[in-house]
Amino acid sequence: MNTIAVNTTFSSGRSGVSTLRKRSITIARLRVLWVAIIFACVASAAVARIGYLGVSDNTIRTTSLADALLPPRGELTDRNGVPLARAFPAYALWYNPKALGDPSDPLVKSARDVAVELQAIFPALDIEVTAEKLAAGRPGYLQRRVLPEQANQVMAIGELALELPRETDRHYPQGSMGAHVLGYVDAEGQGKVGMEQVLNDRLTDPALRGEPVALSIDMRAQGALEDELRRGMLATNAKGAAGIVLDVDTGEVMALASLPEFDPNKIDAEGVNYMFNRVTNQVYELGSTFKPLTVAAAIDAGTVRDFGRRYDASPVEVGRFKIKDSHFIGNHLNVAETLIHSSNTTTARIADELGPTKLRQAMIDMGMNERPYIELPAKGHPIWPGEKWPRLRNMTVGYGHGIAVTPLHLANAYAAMVNGGVWRPATLHKIQPGAAPKGRRVFKASTSSRMRQLLRMIAVYGTGKNADAPGFRVGGKTGSAEKPGKGGYRQTTLVSTFAAAFPMDKPRYVVVAMLDEPKGTTASSYQRTAAWNAAPIVGKLIPRIGPVLGVRPDTSRDIDLSDLKPLLGAE
Amino acid sequence: MLIPLFLLVAFGAAVLFSAAGGNFQPFAASHLIRFSVFLIMASIMVLFTRDMARFLAYPIYGLILILLVGVEAVGAMGGGSQRWLELGFMRIQPSEIMKPAIVLALAKFYGTLPDGMIESWRALVPAGVLIAMPMGLVLLQPDLGTSLAIAFGGIVVMFLAGLPMRWFVAAGVAAAAAAPLVYFFGLKEYQQRRVTTFLDPESDPLGSGYHITQSKIAIGSGGFSGKGFNEGSQSHLNYLPEPHTDFVFATMAEEWGFLGGLFVLIVFGLILRWGLNVAKKAKDRFAKLLAAGMVATIFFYIAINLMMVMGFAPVVGIPLPFMSHGGSSMMTNMLCIGSLMMVNRWNRERTRVGIG
Repeated sequence: MNTIAVNTTFSSGRSGVSTLRKRSITIARLRVLWVAIIFACVASAAVARIGYLGVSDNTIRTTSLADALLPPRGELTDRNGVPLARAFPAYALWYNPKALGDPSDPLVKSARDVAVELQAIFPALDIEVTAEKLAAGRPGYLQRRVLPEQANQVMAIGELALELPRETDRHYPQGSMGAHVLGYVDAEGQGKVGMEQVLNDRLTDPALRGEPVALSIDMRAQGALEDELRRGMLATNAKGAAGIVLDVDTGEVMALASLPEFDPNKIDAEGVNYMFNRVTNQVYELGSTFKPLTVAAAIDAGTVRDFGRRYDASPVEVGRFKIKDSHFIGNHLNVAETLIHSSNTTTARIADELGPTKLRQAMIDMGMNERPYIELPAKGHPIWPGEKWPRLRNMTVGYGHGIAVTPLHLANAYAAMVNGGVWRPATLHKIQPGAAPKGRRVFKASTSSRMRQLLRMIAVYGTGKNADAPGFRVGGKTGSAEKPGKGGYRQTTLVSTFAAAFPMDKPRYVVVAMLDEPKGTTASSYQRTAAWNAAPIVGKLIPRIGPVLGVRPDTSRDIDLSDLKPLLGAE
Repeated sequence: MLIPLFLLVAFGAAVLFSAAGGNFQPFAASHLIRFSVFLIMASIMVLFTRDMARFLAYPIYGLILILLVGVEAVGAMGGGSQRWLELGFMRIQPSEIMKPAIVLALAKFYGTLPDGMIESWRALVPAGVLIAMPMGLVLLQPDLGTSLAIAFGGIVVMFLAGLPMRWFVAAGVAAAAAAPLVYFFGLKEYQQRRVTTFLDPESDPLGSGYHITQSKIAIGSGGFSGKGFNEGSQSHLNYLPEPHTDFVFATMAEEWGFLGGLFVLIVFGLILRWGLNVAKKAKDRFAKLLAAGMVATIFFYIAINLMMVMGFAPVVGIPLPFMSHGGSSMMTNMLCIGSLMMVNRWNRERTRVGIG
C-alpha cells in the first residue's frame, strides 16, 4: 500500500521532497482517520452496551421481599392447625477444598485431625472415611443436616474449607408420627410417598405456599393409634400392623398408621423399606370381617327377613371342597349367632341364598373391585374374583376369602354399613362442615340400623368382647384370616383384623386395626386370633381417641338390642 | 471548547455529591477545587511558546524518568511497591505525568526526524527506547494499567507519525503471540485472576467477579432514565465498590440511566473531536503529533474505564477522566487538555510553516 509507493519515490532526489511531503500528509490524514474510527467504534460499543444493560433485565435478579419471607415450601398441619411438616432453615456441612485458594492443600490441620474433631461433633461420622474424604480434595457434603450449635462448633475448628451453607429443610416436628400420611421431601425438593407428593405443586406454588394446608388427620388420634398399634404389634411379635380411624359421615381420615414406620426427618435405607403403606397399598384376605357385609347385603336384598330363622351349621360341601367352622358352635344358628360366633358355614349358606350376582354387586357398590379412594399415591389393587362367580367363590367371598382388599376398603365399607347406608370415598383433606361428598347409597337405612344392632351384639356377646370399651358403645367384627402360602392356606400365619365403629347408637367413627402375622404370646393368651390381639387394641384405642374426637363415654346410653337379644342361645 | 469540559466536571461533581450520600465532602468539593487548580495550571501552560515546548520536551521527559527511578529506589529501600514520591507539600505519581510526557518527547522526536527517514530503523529504535524505559520502570512498580497507557500514547504517536503499517501489523502479531506467555509468566496471580474473572465474571460473583457483576447490576438497574439523583441504591448501600473513583460511571448510570450515559459519552466525544480538530489544524508535525497523542491518552483512559465498568475489560484500576475523584488522574488529564489548548493557541498565531 502506501509504504510501497513511498519506497519508489524515496531516491528520486530533490524533486521528490515535495511529493514526499504530500505523501506524509496524506498518510497522517489517513492515520488520524483511523484513530477517529477507532474512537467512534469504542463509543458506539459503549452506547450499545449501556443500552443493552439498561434494557435487558437479566443483570438484575429480581427477588421480592414477600417472596423471600414466604416459606420455601408450604406447611402441612393437622385438622386443628397443629404443624405436621414445616420449612426449617438448616445448615449443611459442605467441604470446599478451594476455600483456601489452593486445592492441593485445602486444610490447615491434617485431614485426620480435622476428621477427629468432626467426629467429636457428629458422633455418627466415621473418622477414617471422613479423613479420606478430606484428603481426596473433592468438594462434597460431609453432613446433610447440621444443627445451629453444631454449626458453631464446626466454625470453631477454624477450617475455611468446612463451609456451612444454609439450606431449607423439611422438618416434621412430630417425628415419625403420621409418616405414611405425610411422606417426605427428597434432596431435590420433591415431595415423596405421602401428601408431600400429592400436594407437591400446591406446596411449592408461590401464590399459595404462604397458606398452610390442613389435613384431615387429628394429631392426637394419630398418636394414640400409632401407640396402641405399636404396643399390640410388639406384644404379639407381629410382622407389622395397620390402623385407620375414619369419619363415617364425611370420609375424612382421622388417623392412618402403618407399622413399622419410617422417620421422614431421616430417610435412610431402613426407612425406605418401611415406606410401604399397609393401609392403602397392601391387600389382604380380611376373613370374617366380611361376614357382616354379606349379612347386610342379604338383609338389603330381602333374603334375610326373619332373624329367628336358623341355618344349618354343618360343613358345606361344594364339589371336593368342604367349608367348616373352626370349632363346633351349634347344629343350627340364626343370623345373630352366625355373626357373634363367626360361623363360616352359616355365612356361606346365607351368601349362597343371596346368590353371586347380588353379593358381587354389593361388593362393587362398596368399591371392593377397584383401588381404594384416597389421595395417597400408593394404592393397592384388590385381588378381585372377576366376572362370573362360581358357587364356591360366592360362598368364600361371603366370609372374606378369595377376595383380597386393603384395610382402607374395609373401613370404607364399614362406614357405609353403619352410617345409614351411604358409601363415601376416604380423604386426607380436611372437609369443611356441610361440604362432605354426597356419596352413593349402598344399603337401605333400615339395613344399616339392623347392622348397628348386630355389630354391637358381637362386641357385647361375641368375639369382640375385648373391644367393648365401657361407655363407648363399640360394635365390630373380628377377622382372623390364614395367609395364603405355597400349597394352600397356612394355618399358623394369620392376618388378624378388628373392624369396629362407635358409638353404635349413632356411629361417628370406624376403626380398623390389623396385625400382620401375630404370634401367640402371653399378652394374647397364646392365641393368634383377632379376638385376642386386634380386638384389645381397638378396646384400648377407643377410650383414648373418643373424647378428643367428640364422643364422650356414656354408660346410660346404648343402642336398643331388646328385639334381637332373646334370639341368642334359644336352641 | 471549555464548555463541554465544564459540563462534564460539573456533572462529575454531582455524581460524586451523590456518591458521598448527598454531601460535598469528601469527594465533590475537592473534585471541583482540584479542577480549578489544574485549570489554572493549564492556563499557564497555554503561555508556553512552541519553541519553549520543543526545547523542554526532552528535559521534562528525562526529569520524570529520573523521578521514576527515584520511586523505585525509595520503594526498594522502604520495602514493597511504591508509586509516588512524597515532596512534602504534595505527593506526585511520576508514572501519571509520564503519560503526557512520553507523548511530548515522541512528538519532539518525530518532529525533528527528517521526512525521508521515517521508514528506517532510526525512526523506530530511539522511539522504542523512549517508550520502553518508562514502561519498564512502571511495570516494576508493578502497575500494568499505567504502563499500558504509556505504551498506548507512545504507539499512537508513532502510528500518526507515519511509521510503516507493516511494523504495527508485525508488532500486533507479536503481541498476540506473546500474550499467553506474558499471561502465564509475566503476570502476578492476582492479575491473572482479574483476566480470567473478566472472561467469566459470573464464575465467582462474590469473589473476584464481584466488582464487574455489581457494576453491571448498577448500570442495568438504571434503565432508560435512571433511578434519579441521589436515589442509587447500589452505590449508596456500598454494593458497588469504589463508587467515587473507578466505578463512578456505574454510579452515574444507576442514577441517570441510559440518558446520563449517553450524555457523558457525547461530551467526551465533543472533547475528543475538538482535540482531533486541534491536531488537524496544527501547522507542524510536532504540534500535530503532540495534540493527537494527548487526545489518544485521554481516549485511552475513557475507553479502558468504560469497558471495565461495562464488563468488557478486566478490572485494571483506571479512573474516568474528569468524573472520577482522584488528583493524579485529574492532573494528567488536565496536562493533556493544557497541551491541547497550547497547541490551539499556536494554531491561531501566524507562525512559520515548517516541515520541522
